[in-house]
Amino acid sequence: MSWILSAIVFLPLAGALAAAMLPKESGGAAKWLAAVVAGVDLVLVAVLVAVFDVGKGMQFVTDVVWVPQAHIRYHLAVDGISITMLALSALLSFVAVLASWKVESKPSTYFAMLLLLEVGMNGVFVALDFVLFYVFWELVLVPMYFLISMWGGPRREYASLKFFLYTLFGSVFMLVGIVALFLIKGTFDITQLASAAPALLPHQQWWLFLAFFLGFAVKVPVWPLHTWLPDAHVEAPTAGSVLLAGVLLKMGTYGFIRIALPILPDAVTKGAGTLPPWQPILVVLATISIVYGAAVAFAQTDLKKLVAYSSVSHMGFVMLGIASLTPEGINGAVAVMFSHGLVTGLLFLMVGMVYERGHTRKIEDLSGLMPQVPRIGAVFALASFASLGLPGMSGFVGEFLSLLGGWQAATAKGALFSPVWVVVSAVGVLLAAAYMLWMVQRVVLGNPSRVVGAMDDMTGRELATVLPLVALTFVVGIYWSSLLRFVDPAVRALLAPFGGA
Amino acid sequence: MGVLLAAIPLLPAAAFALLGPMSRELRNRAKWVSIVAMSASLALAVVAFVQAWLAPAHGEGARVVFHAFAPIAPGGAFGFGLLLDPVSAVMLIVVTVVGLAVQVYSLGYMHSDERVGWYYAVLSLFSAAMLAVVLADNFLMLYMAWEVMGLCSYLLIGFWHTEEGPRKASIKAFLVTRVGDIGFALGLAAMFALTRSFAFDKVLPAATAWAPGAATLVALLLLFGAMGKSAQFPLHVWLPDAMAGPTPASALIHAATMVAAGVYLVARALPIFVASGVALSVTLLIGIVTALLGGSLALVQYDIKKVLAYSTISQLGYMFVALGTASEVAGLYHLVTHAFFKSLLFLGAGVIIHSTHTQDMREMGGLRKKMPVTTGVFTIGALALAGVFPLSGFFSKDEILASLLRGHHYAFFGFALLAALLTAFYVTRLWVRVFWGTGSDHAHEGHRVMLAPMVVLAAITLVIGFASVAFAGFLGHEVEWPEVGLAAASTFTALAGIGAGWWVYAMGKVDTAEVRERLRLLYLVLQQKYYMDRLYEAAFVKPFEKVAGAFAWFDLGVIDGAVNGAAALWVRATQLSWRFDVSVIDGGVNRLADAVVDAGERLRRLQSGSVQSYQRLVLGAVVLLLAWVMVLWPALKAVLKGA
Amino acid sequence: MKVGLDAFILLATALFSVGLFGALSKRSAIMVLMALELMANAVNILLVAASRYVTPATMDGWFFAVFSLVVSAAEIGLGLSLVLALYRKVRTAELDRLETLKG
Repeated sequence: MSWILSAIVFLPLAGALAAAMLPKESGGAAKWLAAVVAGVDLVLVAVLVAVFDVGKGMQFVTDVVWVPQAHIRYHLAVDGISITMLALSALLSFVAVLASWKVESKPSTYFAMLLLLEVGMNGVFVALDFVLFYVFWELVLVPMYFLISMWGGPRREYASLKFFLYTLFGSVFMLVGIVALFLIKGTFDITQLASAAPALLPHQQWWLFLAFFLGFAVKVPVWPLHTWLPDAHVEAPTAGSVLLAGVLLKMGTYGFIRIALPILPDAVTKGAGTLPPWQPILVVLATISIVYGAAVAFAQTDLKKLVAYSSVSHMGFVMLGIASLTPEGINGAVAVMFSHGLVTGLLFLMVGMVYERGHTRKIEDLSGLMPQVPRIGAVFALASFASLGLPGMSGFVGEFLSLLGGWQAATAKGALFSPVWVVVSAVGVLLAAAYMLWMVQRVVLGNPSRVVGAMDDMTGRELATVLPLVALTFVVGIYWSSLLRFVDPAVRALLAPFGGA
Repeated sequence: MGVLLAAIPLLPAAAFALLGPMSRELRNRAKWVSIVAMSASLALAVVAFVQAWLAPAHGEGARVVFHAFAPIAPGGAFGFGLLLDPVSAVMLIVVTVVGLAVQVYSLGYMHSDERVGWYYAVLSLFSAAMLAVVLADNFLMLYMAWEVMGLCSYLLIGFWHTEEGPRKASIKAFLVTRVGDIGFALGLAAMFALTRSFAFDKVLPAATAWAPGAATLVALLLLFGAMGKSAQFPLHVWLPDAMAGPTPASALIHAATMVAAGVYLVARALPIFVASGVALSVTLLIGIVTALLGGSLALVQYDIKKVLAYSTISQLGYMFVALGTASEVAGLYHLVTHAFFKSLLFLGAGVIIHSTHTQDMREMGGLRKKMPVTTGVFTIGALALAGVFPLSGFFSKDEILASLLRGHHYAFFGFALLAALLTAFYVTRLWVRVFWGTGSDHAHEGHRVMLAPMVVLAAITLVIGFASVAFAGFLGHEVEWPEVGLAAASTFTALAGIGAGWWVYAMGKVDTAEVRERLRLLYLVLQQKYYMDRLYEAAFVKPFEKVAGAFAWFDLGVIDGAVNGAAALWVRATQLSWRFDVSVIDGGVNRLADAVVDAGERLRRLQSGSVQSYQRLVLGAVVLLLAWVMVLWPALKAVLKGA
Repeated sequence: MKVGLDAFILLATALFSVGLFGALSKRSAIMVLMALELMANAVNILLVAASRYVTPATMDGWFFAVFSLVVSAAEIGLGLSLVLALYRKVRTAELDRLETLKG
């Protein structure tokens, strides 16, 4: 069944080509095409999840020579971590298509871009050849750039260019790292790079880590490389924001987990000469991201910006979990990645619905969603509670495990960082409650404002868009194993270079 | 039995899952689902209690552990499991009895509210969460349910969310308790780092082997969580504000059950506290401070619910005092008696508010004639609170005082008596202001659907005191009946408080206005709640808002400014290079051309057109040439060679 | 006194200098032509003298001189006719006035 990964990755490409070739007057054909393609892709992923064997490592391997002269291979496979991300990508792509039902300007191009984006996102999570990985990684930029610059808000040109250049800036360093690794090791294969001779020298590891760090950290984004994110989120169309926050950010943290940690373990824990190990640096940056993102979110007046900055905060928990290098922490990191995809996707969908109806995202103009439009209000509130990490919903699982892992790493013998950072990160949970409740109090509760007073409640289509996300939020939040049984074995395999912690 | 045990919290949870997604109209009509579920839970709880009671040996022998779908995460440490032991059996009864009483009562109290269905849905969710707290066999599940309770508390405090007050109070409650929850979560992390488990039966036996520092850390972190939930100083500030919610919800959540969960947590984790030692002393200190603080603040309140709220804070402090002496039995016993009599008092206050349409005690008075039943049951509750024999409060308070003496905490014993004195005094003040004298003429007795649950609770309060020895035995401890001397001391204290209150308020022997004037400073401090709200506002809330604003400015101005600056610099660099391109490279070409033209301009002047001038030129050139060939070049050659 | 090559060189130089001075200073085109003839003949003298003293065996210098005389005759003929034609056109033979070559 190894064809299934190729099918999952390239089916949307066929769809994108077909959509792009649709005549301009074809009207609704493009969205139906996109929905069918994304839907079939989702079904394929569901099949994949169903037949996936949790106990085995990399599965559904396709490994053939692609460019023999340069030792580049077409190598696809999934393990427990990639499959959760792949599922998230396919799910959110489908949701994004549904959420774009009312796009009227150049629909065929729009949906072609959405599908092309899905190609890149799916590809990143299954590619195991560095060049292939990089191709998919950069492929994501293009459609997202166009989605923002053509269907975005008033400052779309600034935002799209900033997004494009910023991430390109990061990935250039990554490319340097990839080439350098190839020159040292003679292979582009991600799974082999960790073990292939010759072993990397400490300094090589350190500087390579820096290169990959820059590439991934921009995408995550880690403070202080985060400022492209609010602009891009705010200006992107709803589906763009959903995919940007839901999937694109995870590419960065996925890169850390899949590439930076296994290939460069000594850079993380040992440093090189006078150069410090990366673990404490990552922890400190993660903590700053958490608290800083939350504080800035609190000061926002625009709903979308608030959600965008909350992403900075949540992704900080992912980084904390990753940096802990404990099974709990990395399980937590993947759980936050998955949950943040669901919950922030949900929040952006809700903001989009409110904006579509009221043409404003200003918090001061909005109030009383609950009495006026109870379904929107209820889902909005639900998503907010999930976002602030309420147990029983998915947000709690990952944040709790990340803190657990962080504390464990900080109190272990020979720990490289102080538990104080974990305590400060935990305060981020309080701050998340502060800005989320503050927002709920103003927007969801109270008496309907003038703008809200004219709104209609969710349609059936919109309900269908959000329900899967809501349901998954509860499933993962209550029965953690539904997600973690996939993730845990892969995490333990990944941690082998760190002494099988 | 396991499945039935699981059904106890799952039934109300199912009621919530059923009611939650309904439309408002449907939900309002289906509120009975919640009551049915709660009744079934109560029935099952009784069964569970009986089973635990009949178990071969009390204490350890009565444990039933049931793992629902454990583990919920790989690694085995994360799981949902239910534990039925004497403690949870007792708690089950308390929660289900008070929960059902409140739900029945609410039929009357919330009768005309247009969102009554939602109210019942949240009550159900709350009951489910609280039952999960008391049934949890591990700290993680306890914490998760604990947080869900916090959500319900938030939702119920802010039930009337279209008004500003409840909205603010609900956020304050959630955030302040969450401050404590950070401690709880970190405590879990610390516990996990030490034992790689959350299960009571793994962590608690292991605690004795921990280094004292580690045990103290875990214990204090857990205590911090408990302080948030149980409104202990200095995290008590949310509870009085929480009175903005519907009164029966206050009775259930903010008097009987949720706020007592902190006490329950500490009682569960008591072996860790004992292993630490220091943590016990801290608990004792926090408890006594809170008891005195709550009691003193209750003295100056005019809002009937706030008096009861401060009283709750004070009584919770009392429970912490008991736990601080490592007396789990005394703490839990007071929790149980307090749950019944305090919810009774709150429900009574609800009836009174319903009938007088005010919460201000100064606008009440003489209700004993209009509302005889309420007066009767309220008086039972008030006397229990004051600790008068033979009501339940007397026994549980006595137990706590005895445990203080047993631990030789004589100073704390004195303070505890003082707190008891204050309690008796403010209870009398409340009772006199509401029921004595004259005032509310239009008041009427409450509906029987509201009175019936109160009567039940009053009955329990009347008899439960005599269960103290059995209770302790059930929990596996030996407890004597109250000693005569101690009983006399505490009774004397209670009577002194009541007498003083009666003397001041009923007989009017003291001009309270004059006292206020004399002790103006003290009164001001009390009225300002020891300035703690203002302190927090000034020390945390405002600075955070400022910091948030500063960070936002920093983000936009500095970080993004740097990014934009870098971009601008880049643009400027490209412009410069463009200009270089234009001016130097391209300009070079142009300038060369210009120079050629210019040179031509100059050179053409040579071309006078006069042939003779050309000849002169030629002559000059020839001379120069000759000079070069014949003089300069040979000279140069000579010099070069010579060198 | 023996007449050597030096005497001829001196003569030729003097003649050339006179011719050069005349060519540069005379305003009349006729006079300038005559001066040019002086310079040309100074060169002819030098050629013959050099031939006689340096390579007596051959007659190269003589041939050059004769060739040069023929060319000079033609040149003068052409020059005079040009001056006449110019004179007919601009009514002057004064070189100062003739500036049409000016750039």
